[in-house]
Amino acid sequence: MGVKTLLKSGIVLDLYFFKNNRSAFVSMLIWPYLTLGLILGMGAMFGSAQAFRQNVGLPVNPLTYFVASTLAMMVSLDVMWGVGGSVLHHRWIGTLPYVLLSPNRTSVTLVFTYVPRYLMTAAIQLAEFAPLVLAVEGLSVGTLKLGVMALAATVGMLPLLGFAALFASFLLSIKEESNVLSFLNPLILLFSGAFYPAYLLPRWAQLISAILPSTYTIELARVAALIGSPELRRVTLLIGALVAMTALYNSASGLVIEAGERRAMREGAI
Amino acid sequence: MPVREDLVKVKAVLWLHTLRLWRYRYSFLNMILSEAAWIFMFVLGALLFVPSERLGVAVKGAFWTIVAWSFVSNFSSLVGGWMNFFISIGMVEEHLVRGFSPFRTLLGRVVTGLSVVVASLLFMAALVGGAFHVNLLHTESLWLLLAGMGLLAVQSLSYGFTVASIAVRTSVPNNLLEILNFVVVGLLMVPVQALPEALRPVFLCIPYVAPAHLVKLAAGAGEGLEYAALAVAGVEALAMAVVAAWATKWAIRWIRRNGVRAIGFW
Repeated sequence: MGVKTLLKSGIVLDLYFFKNNRSAFVSMLIWPYLTLGLILGMGAMFGSAQAFRQNVGLPVNPLTYFVASTLAMMVSLDVMWGVGGSVLHHRWIGTLPYVLLSPNRTSVTLVFTYVPRYLMTAAIQLAEFAPLVLAVEGLSVGTLKLGVMALAATVGMLPLLGFAALFASFLLSIKEESNVLSFLNPLILLFSGAFYPAYLLPRWAQLISAILPSTYTIELARVAALIGSPELRRVTLLIGALVAMTALYNSASGLVIEAGERRAMREGAI
Repeated sequence: MPVREDLVKVKAVLWLHTLRLWRYRYSFLNMILSEAAWIFMFVLGALLFVPSERLGVAVKGAFWTIVAWSFVSNFSSLVGGWMNFFISIGMVEEHLVRGFSPFRTLLGRVVTGLSVVVASLLFMAALVGGAFHVNLLHTESLWLLLAGMGLLAVQSLSYGFTVASIAVRTSVPNNLLEILNFVVVGLLMVPVQALPEALRPVFLCIPYVAPAHLVKLAAGAGEGLEYAALAVAGVEALAMAVVAAWATKWAIRWIRRNGVRAIGFW
């Protein structure tokens, strides 16, 4: 069973999931706009766009800023839940032993069956926001900004896969039946600067932000919110940080999952 | 003797819920952190729109609004939501056979609800206070804060018991409750003083709004209508408690005649 088969099975699984769970599909379409609406509505009630620019300390358009933040937040969450949650789901339905016993490494199976879904949902969410961004920013600048957001969603996925696999290993090791680590999702997003920039958080929180891959994904997406064309130097720097984190988190998760697999096979319990 | 028996039953209920709290400590931690962090993240985003000179008041307002929402959400869902579990494991019949109302057992969920609210409050105070350099736990009137919180607790507990009573014979869609939760946050966020004067008393009459206003007043994040809010919140809390007491009695009578349906809230 090669990687191509895993990718294909991932695509087929997701297409049928959406076909048979239409309410989940509709909810996926509505949720990003609900999130954006709530935060912009509260912002309009309490203050102004001018105050927003002053507080952020950057010449940004609040709407594009929160579109980029919402998109980066949604895709980061999707990876963390998609990989981490799938392990739990496999255990609930009793397919985890089969995943462990399949010829491919568990981490390879988890990642390659998940990647198609990620790319599909990220593309759908970006397409959902595209008309709004184009209407606000204009055709040429808007397209460029959408390109930066697409880049953030794609490159940002790579370190998050390893990070989520570590998450999954920990979930398995504590042997709880529910996702008792779901609290980590909002916390990680909070420290990553989703909605509220990480550089405005207290110093201790900034230290945590620095080691989270989602911080750089969100930062990269937000480059699109700056008024005018995105700055190439900043984009390159952030991509560099994400590549370094990809190497770090994926090698760490590879080692941890391998040890976990060996232990599961030796003890016959997962 | 009956007093001693009652005390033993109260002790048993408290022991049950405290023990469960410890047994499910990871879920408990997960819940408080998760709920607080999600709402807090949205509020932080909204605070970015607030001018710096108004930030101190806005932060306090947002913080205590979340605390108020936390009361409403946790007390109602931890009581109402637990009924489903209680029905599913067949405990309602067991309690009735032994002459003890299952709703009295449910009252012990106050232990869980209070633990979640207090832990979330302290966690958020550290995080928000650190970010904005505001002492969020400093209040202008402690008695008003306690009164506001107490009335909020009574209102949300009453709502939880009413829902739990309805749950023994029907189901409430989860999606609807999630949307209702969003509506409550939205209502609590609106500063009463920002509304036209004629609308203020009407707005205060919406459940939870008056006690939440008292909490904001105590924290120095609201203005005026102190006595009106106190009166409205008191009358509402009393009315909701009476409805809840009637609903639980009605539910017990209904169960004795028809049995429990294994469908609950959630």
